Amino acid sequence: MVKERKIVCRCEDLTEEEIIHAIEEGYDNLESLKRYTGATTGACQGKGCLMHIIRILSQKTGKSPEEIGVTTQRPPVNPVPLYVLSEGGESE
Amino acid sequence: MKVAIIGAGVMGLSTAYYLSKLGAEVTVFEQKYLLYGASGRNSGGITPMIDKKELIPFALKSLELYDKLPAEVDFNFLFRKDGYVKVAASDADAEKLKKDVRIQNELGVKSKIVEPSEVKELVPDFNPDSIVLASYCSESGVIFPWPVIWGLARGCRENGVEIKDQTAVDEIVIEGGVRGVRAGGEFHKADVVVNAAGAWSNKVSEKAGVKLENKILKEEICVTESIKPYLDPYIYDITYGVYLSQSARGEIVGGITGREVQEISTDSTLEFAARYAKRATQLIPMLKGLAMLRQWAGVYDEGKDGLPVVGFTEVDGFVQANGLGKHTGMIVAPALGRELARLIVKGDNPNLKEFSPRRF
Ligand SMILES: Cc1cc2nc3c(=O)[nH]c(=O)nc-3n(C[C@H](O)[C@H](O)[C@H](O)COP(=O)(O)OP(=O)(O)OC[C@H]3O[C@@H](n4cnc5c(N)ncnc54)[C@H](O)[C@@H]3O)c2cc1C
Repeated sequence: MVKERKIVCRCEDLTEEEIIHAIEEGYDNLESLKRYTGATTGACQGKGCLMHIIRILSQKTGKSPEEIGVTTQRPPVNPVPLYVLSEGGESE
Repeated sequence: MKVAIIGAGVMGLSTAYYLSKLGAEVTVFEQKYLLYGASGRNSGGITPMIDKKELIPFALKSLELYDKLPAEVDFNFLFRKDGYVKVAASDADAEKLKKDVRIQNELGVKSKIVEPSEVKELVPDFNPDSIVLASYCSESGVIFPWPVIWGLARGCRENGVEIKDQTAVDEIVIEGGVRGVRAGGEFHKADVVVNAAGAWSNKVSEKAGVKLENKILKEEICVTESIKPYLDPYIYDITYGVYLSQSARGEIVGGITGREVQEISTDSTLEFAARYAKRATQLIPMLKGLAMLRQWAGVYDEGKDGLPVVGFTEVDGFVQANGLGKHTGMIVAPALGRELARLIVKGDNPNLKEFSPRRF
């Protein structure tokens, strides 16, 4: 039963097929696609998959990567444990 | 009747959905994408344990609607009713919880006061020494805001509502009364224009020449990496404003309630991350080793007396549907939208009297 699975986002275990399906459902801009599929919101925060997502979106919609843009990058750049952060300030 | 709704947040979409059920012809305009506003950035805490008595009947009604809507619109909202705990870390706030629970009970909310040791029974690893007293309501929980919006949008479209994203309303055309809106370079005729623009509502209202002085609040929030189902209820510390819960994806989602700002901004700050991490790990020390993956911020509005602003204005056909407020917008929007749809179609609705823009 193992079909050819092209994994696009390793953190969220998303295949290319699933991304294309979401685009066809109408989640055809990067911000919506990201939220609908979870792509780029996992542990790597898009470092592994964002470019693939943009490529697929570009192929499916005919828009250039420039038109598609990139998603807002959120801090922190790498995961930081709460105990480390909690040393950074006072709770009033 | 043709209605133009400005803003595709939970308020705009629930109003659109119920209007379409009453037979109105509705177009919703959204300046960006569907989850751009507060409705796509919030923590999904849903409870009738509200400290504003005017909102409680709407919260109770919305709880029913949140049960019914997923089947109606054919979209799972991932609403998990594992309870909601409010904790107080000062004696004054403990008294406030007691007073709030008395009022809630009078209005039919099954909330109760619980001792810190009892919170530990609800939440593994909770540190009872971090609080003075708590209140609890089992008929509450955490909803995933994204499917709420996608689902409402789906229900709207099924009923013939047109949702125009990436289309900001630039002008509200008024000649005597409302004539329509100008958006994306085109004129769209409308008999009624609804301002459901959340934090942008003051600006939108200006376009109709109507003064609106809602407060704008900015709220920061973050998620950790995912862990197995661990935290059942939503926890909200009313003294520090810190709240946290576990999402359907296993992340611990938490933030600090909003502060009033003069300008709309969604910047993230390190100061927030530090304050949040400190209090969250006091409440549940076991979270210490958990890593924060991502933080963001959202903006929402609140009527200047703390209540929503919903109803007809002095300009014929121009309707306010904003000011939903701190920790209450997702909770009251379905019921509020439904009542507003009735007001628009029937011209009157006594259930919305307290929220009328004419009260100021
Ligand atoms: C971090 C955070 C946590 C929260 N936690 C909770 C919680 O746990 N429980 C709870 O009940 N509430 C919570 N809230 C509050 C809740 O999210 C809001 O009250 C609610 O989402 C407001 O909905 P809305 O539809 O009024 O506004 P929004 O969702 O902001 O929608 C308004 C929309 O109008 C659009 N718009 C503005 N101007 C124009 C224009 N000119 N043309 C076209 N479109 C326009 C905007 O782009 C926006 O999408 C939280 C909020 C934040 C930010």
